[in-house]
Amino acid sequence: MSWMIRRLRLTCEDTTPLISELMDHNLPWRKRWRLKFHLMICGVCSIYKQQLEIIHALARKLGHEEAPSQNEAVLSEQAKIKIKDTLKQSS
Amino acid sequence: MSEALNSDLWVDQYGDMLYRYTLVRVKNPDAAEEIVQVTLLAALQAKQSFQGRSTEKSWLFGILKHKILDHFRELKTRRTYELSPEDGSDPLENAYQSDGHWANAPKNWDTDPHKAVENKQLVAAMAQCMDRLSEKFRNIFVLKEIEGLTSEEICKEMNIKPTNLWVILHRARNQLRKCLETHNWDTKK
Repeated sequence: MSWMIRRLRLTCEDTTPLISELMDHNLPWRKRWRLKFHLMICGVCSIYKQQLEIIHALARKLGHEEAPSQNEAVLSEQAKIKIKDTLKQSS
Repeated sequence: MSEALNSDLWVDQYGDMLYRYTLVRVKNPDAAEEIVQVTLLAALQAKQSFQGRSTEKSWLFGILKHKILDHFRELKTRRTYELSPEDGSDPLENAYQSDGHWANAPKNWDTDPHKAVENKQLVAAMAQCMDRLSEKFRNIFVLKEIEGLTSEEICKEMNIKPTNLWVILHRARNQLRKCLETHNWDTKK
């Protein structure tokens, strides 16, 4: 049994790049299994994985159409006038 | 006459919304302004094709998304996506012991993705941390995490090698992680 564990084992240093990579594309099944196995036994890498998931969720939140503006950014009155003029000229 | 009225209304009703949506993605206010303008211009010229199947707002946002992608495509001709010193290093480069175990383990943030997005301080911190990424890293991160393009699409659109893309995303995520850890946000909120 221990030979299996030795072959499956990844270090934390091996694991963190794989966690990131998994967010971008599918991993070959062997890598996926080794990753899964490592995360089962390593609470620290699981924390890292959750943090990347949080970052992903925060990015999606910021990008949402109805996201409350962080700094109430608006088009300046000047910009609005300029855009209105440009639109009028083209029609 | 009625067309002029409509376009004024568009600016008043949707201008700020379109601008804020764009600013999150392109960061530069002048570029964001320009993109809103070309969007409304394109909308005006395409008014005939708006058949009322969606709302006016979602139609305008549809055009906006295309114009934002055009902007990123244009940028690719003006910059290279090879890594450079200005992009910064991987904060986790020296985070491990020689046997591969963590030397400085990540601290638990006491939150999860569902709670995190409801935490206004944390969301604000994320916006600030994204602005601290290099332009290159920020663009790629936005395309992947916000616009939701696949890796293949990003490589094709931005002319990057897959290995480069992977390094950029990995490093950007680690930089964001480190940045967020230095911010104060109350996990009880």
